[in-house]
Amino acid sequence: MLAFLGRSLIQKIITLFFVSVISFLIIYLAPGEPSQIDPLNPKFTQEVLERFRKEFHLDEPLYKQYYIFYRDLLTGKSVSWKDNRPVLRKIYERFLNSLPLFILGTLITWTLSFPVGIHAAIRRGSFYDRSTTFLAYLLISIPGFFFAYMLIIFVVTQFHVPVIGMETFGLSPRGLFIPLMDRVWHLLLPSILFAAGGIAVLSRYVRNQMLEVESQDYVRTAKAKGLPPDKVHYKHALRNALLPFVTMFGLVLPGLIGGSVIIESIFSWPGMGRMAYEAILARDYPVILTVNFISAILVLVGTFISDLLYMVVDPRIRL
Amino acid sequence: MMGMDEKRGSAFPEGGVLETPKKTLFQENWSLFRKNRLAMAGLVIFVAFFIIALTGLFLTYGRNPYFNPALVRLQEKLRPPLSKPNLETLKPEEVPRLGIYLFGTDDLGRDVFSRMLQGSWVSLTVGFVAVSIAVVIGIFLGGIAGYYGHWRVLGLFSVDVLITGLIDIMLCFPSFFLILTVVALLPASIYNIMIVIGLTSWMGAARFVRAEFLSLRELDFVTAAKALGVSDWRIIFRHMVPNAMAPVLVSATIGIATAILTEAGLSFLGFGVPPPDATWGNILSNGKNFLFDAPWLTFIPGFAVLIVVLAFNLFGEGLRDVLNPKLKERH
Repeated sequence: MLAFLGRSLIQKIITLFFVSVISFLIIYLAPGEPSQIDPLNPKFTQEVLERFRKEFHLDEPLYKQYYIFYRDLLTGKSVSWKDNRPVLRKIYERFLNSLPLFILGTLITWTLSFPVGIHAAIRRGSFYDRSTTFLAYLLISIPGFFFAYMLIIFVVTQFHVPVIGMETFGLSPRGLFIPLMDRVWHLLLPSILFAAGGIAVLSRYVRNQMLEVESQDYVRTAKAKGLPPDKVHYKHALRNALLPFVTMFGLVLPGLIGGSVIIESIFSWPGMGRMAYEAILARDYPVILTVNFISAILVLVGTFISDLLYMVVDPRIRL
Repeated sequence: MMGMDEKRGSAFPEGGVLETPKKTLFQENWSLFRKNRLAMAGLVIFVAFFIIALTGLFLTYGRNPYFNPALVRLQEKLRPPLSKPNLETLKPEEVPRLGIYLFGTDDLGRDVFSRMLQGSWVSLTVGFVAVSIAVVIGIFLGGIAGYYGHWRVLGLFSVDVLITGLIDIMLCFPSFFLILTVVALLPASIYNIMIVIGLTSWMGAARFVRAEFLSLRELDFVTAAKALGVSDWRIIFRHMVPNAMAPVLVSATIGIATAILTEAGLSFLGFGVPPPDATWGNILSNGKNFLFDAPWLTFIPGFAVLIVVLAFNLFGEGLRDVLNPKLKERH
């Protein structure tokens, strides 16, 4: 087992190295330099440009820039080119804003997907099964931004509550209840949107997994010996169907960054996705690269955790 | 699906005499597929969308198109759908072809119906070209990994390790963020978007082809072909690729849906096709400023994307069910 862990760790570090090289090359070899972001600005004379390039090491050869960038990143010294603040600190602040969205979204996804998927599988071919199937396809197919605007129109016209941003600007801080409700309303829509796609995918997956187990011999045996259906479904089938999902706990980690760009820009939510989007617009290379690097780490850590969990819960694949 | 029958072959009936099956594989699959009503609906919408997009291209293309998507009529801005044009204020050539604004007009008085027609072609080409790129790369790399996997490069790593390593690396990137970054850094053009989406979504196809090739490689018909002296090239493309196509086809269909959604998302964020040309994403993106005054600018392109993407997803899932031999035995 230790050998497996060691091998997997080395493999992941190599992968991470190549990810860092590729993302660096993509960004630095793209046409246009950050020094040319504002060519019409009269303050950008040739000398200022030169100074700018020297300051950010843009005049060095590429491999040296790569070395400088990742040295700064790993020692925590790299700063945003836009406002000269430490990148890690900036990301951490935005991360705290994204966290409630992520937690609530994930909670909604997991608490809704399982009952829906399990019921659909048990009552295969019923009206419930067919309608949830169709609903799942609908949720996968709807463009996130369109769904967001439908929800905004609905909530704003029906409930007359503001939903854009993290809280209502200028709301008097008196009392505990009103600001709290305000926060909850602002949090609700983006979280639902965050969860929508996840619910669709996960509930389908739960259903298929459950169907797979329900067709196994031991479930038929359990039915044949006259156990009550509930016991067969929830004790014999469900426990085995749950196995793959334990591993999915690891795979939700990358969701912290990806997928939230559009939702966060619609709701003016000052989270990681929006920061990344703003960094792209401003050609703030250190922020873009760091976000990319962190999300690659999250993917790798996520798969590592899921491998680990799989070994713990399923004795059949203990290596 | 030619070549498929090689894998399954015909069954020996009780008498031991070999009979040709009554239906071809295609007929058998088709009759199965027709039972799935959702998938059939998906196919019908898919075909209709294809026809609309193609006619849309002809009717909105060129210097003086039949439906002009770029014609600005400032005096007729934000007219709701089905409203009649105000003939007194319009020059004869500015009057909409259908006599009414079928889908209304936008904030510059441009006919949304013409713009939607133009945008349908963009969505269709982005979906198909991006997925074609992904599938070609996927078959190529997956095929090499599956067929020549044991070869060693520089005596160190096997080809298989290198290619699966590359797949792992590509899967580490947050895909939408990566696409957004590259598209934002490159000059705005529809071709860049197609290429970037294609280059970042081939991993699924490569994995499927690799897995299929690994098992196909050991089957008798491949050994037989080798023994007959058939060239590697011909074995791969004539004998193995057709047999490995089923999962690729399914993932490609669903990939088209994803690509259309991605393009719409990029257009929505302002990184899509440059302004004078319309896409469903940028019609919606413009419309969001008039969300409460002119909701049709949000709902028409939104529902169009939804319906088309839904059709591709349903069609793809139907295809998956039909091509899955496990499910077939139950019928």
